[in-house]
Formats: sequence, structure tokens, C-alpha cells
Amino acid sequence: MDGARRIVAGLEAAGVTLAASVPDTWIGRLMQAVRGSAKIRAVDVAREEEAVAIACGASLAGGRGAVLIQNAGLLNCGGILAGLVELYRIPCFFIVSYRGDWRDPVYYHAPKGRVTEATLSAWRLPYAVADRAADLAAQVARGVTFAVESRGPFVLLISGEDLQ
Amino acid sequence: MTPRKPFLEALVAMLTPGDILVSCLGANARYLPHLTVPAPVFALCDSMGTAIPLALGMALQRPDRHVVALEGDGSLLMSPNVLATVAAACPPNLTTLLWVNGHYESSGGQPLPGAPVDWAGLARAAGVPHVEPVPDVAALRAAFPRARAAGAPALLVLAVAFNPDETIPPYSERPEEIRARFRV
Repeated sequence: MDGARRIVAGLEAAGVTLAASVPDTWIGRLMQAVRGSAKIRAVDVAREEEAVAIACGASLAGGRGAVLIQNAGLLNCGGILAGLVELYRIPCFFIVSYRGDWRDPVYYHAPKGRVTEATLSAWRLPYAVADRAADLAAQVARGVTFAVESRGPFVLLISGEDLQ
Repeated sequence: MTPRKPFLEALVAMLTPGDILVSCLGANARYLPHLTVPAPVFALCDSMGTAIPLALGMALQRPDRHVVALEGDGSLLMSPNVLATVAAACPPNLTTLLWVNGHYESSGGQPLPGAPVDWAGLARAAGVPHVEPVPDVAALRAAFPRARAAGAPALLVLAVAFNPDETIPPYSERPEEIRARFRV
């Protein structure tokens, strides 16, 4: 099973019912695997804040929403994280492609990579960088569980390598 | 033009316990605790542009409930992309009421950027299947049942009077209270 399918298995095991996404190259591959799930509704959106609100709506209505976006999109989401997720204490699990870190061969992503973890820390968002040598499905399920139990956000950063 | 409160009262009178109401920040969210609403209410006090996608997520999760979103023209102008997202997801159980008064009422009544936006045309162009202009309360009473029965995402464009002297009650519920009470 490739990494993308292991991540989807983790989402399914954690009870995720809806995944809202704006794709990039990596997240697009992951969403292809999500579309193969009989348990998760894939929702294509136009901008990342929508994905957050849609996932929160699913969670408020009794499901479990997840947000699958690029780190550029996460940087768009400061307002809604503060004004919806944190203010109303809604579980919200993110899988975010970590563009611009040392594993990313595309030069123009580098500025985003430099600020990603610093921004997560400044926004006080709990996060982890996926470890492809360990059990990816379990890392995903732990992240979802953390979001549910803390009634807040959790961000799992992934690389393209993690999807292989 | 029709003031806000008669529109809101007419809408609330048409809701049922099987519905879900999601309100944008501002006057609607501030009035709602003072009305008897038969449906669960999730009212925002921040996060402009969030009401429609929040309602969309609920509608997709709960196809057995009809979800009604209240959004302002200033909020939708900030994130009109959501119209295409709604059209693409195409839930049959989502009705949006767009409150058009041309002002950022909550922040002091500043005017929106002075473009003559055709809201109904914008929604139709984005692919929202059922769109109706609503000039007054009588029209709302006729249009809302049609929207509910449309079997596709609906958007009603309400022409709302802006009154800078309107006495709008302050927020009377904390987010944690709204969150705790919201059960569907």
C-alpha cells in the first residue's frame, strides 16, 4: 500500500467523514486516494478558508471533517482559525503539504517552507511532521483524535515522499 | 425597502425543528437570541464569509436536514468563490439568504466598495441552480418554500434597508454557549 492510501486508511480509522481540499501536486495525489474511499466524502473547494469552514460544519453536524491543503493555503487561514476553530472550539484536522522544506525540489516553494513551522508556532497550532519510516496511518489517526479531544486544530505536515 | 427585522421574523416563522440555521456575524446573529427559533442555531460573531461554507459542511453531513445560511453582501464580496463551491457540491438541502444592504453594518456602517454588483447574476453565473430576488417580506414568504423544495442549492437575494439609526441588540451569547447548545 502506498503512502497516500495509508494516510486515507488513517483518516477512515479515525472516523473522518468529509475531506475538503484545495489541491496542489501532492495534495491532489492524496485526494485521488480519498476519492477511492467509501467512507469519506471528498469536497473540492476554491479557497482554503472554505475548506476549514466546510470541515467544521461537518464536525458540528455529527461527522468528522478534515482539511487537505498546501502550506500556502494554511497561511491564508489565520483569520478563520482564530475566529471559528479556536473561538468556538471545533475539532479541525489538517493535512498540509510542506512545500519548500529540504525535501522539496521546486525552488519557488522555498519562501513558504521557511515560514511554515514558524507560523504554526506563532499561531500556537499543534502540529507534527509526518515520519514516513513509521506508521503513517497511526500518525493520521492520532492527529484526528488530538483534534477531537482537544476540540481544536491539529496539523500534520506531509511531503511528496510520504505519498509514495 | 424592507428593514432587516421583519425579514428575519418572517424567515424564523417558516423554519421547522428539522432545519438548521447558520448566521453570519452582525445584526442577524445579534437579533436571533431575541426570537423564538424552532431550529438549532449556529451564530457567528466573527469570521466574515464563513456562514455559507459552514452551512455547506452541515448540509453535506446531514442530508436529512435542511440547512439555511444567512450571509451578508460584505461577507460574500470577501469570498464569492464559495458560490462555485456550493454549485459544485450541489447539496439539495442548502438555502442561502443573502442580505444586501450595501454596508458593513457591524463595523460602523461603512459602504461596500461602490460597484453595482448583480448578486443574483453572480450566483447564477457561478452555477447556483435556484436564485431569486426577494424585494419584500411577502416575496420572502413565497420564495422560501420554493427554495426549500428546489432540490438543489438555492440563494435568495434580499434587498434590505440600511438604517444607521437602527438599535440592534448587542451580542448576548458567548461562542462557547452557542457551541454547547448546538445539537443536531
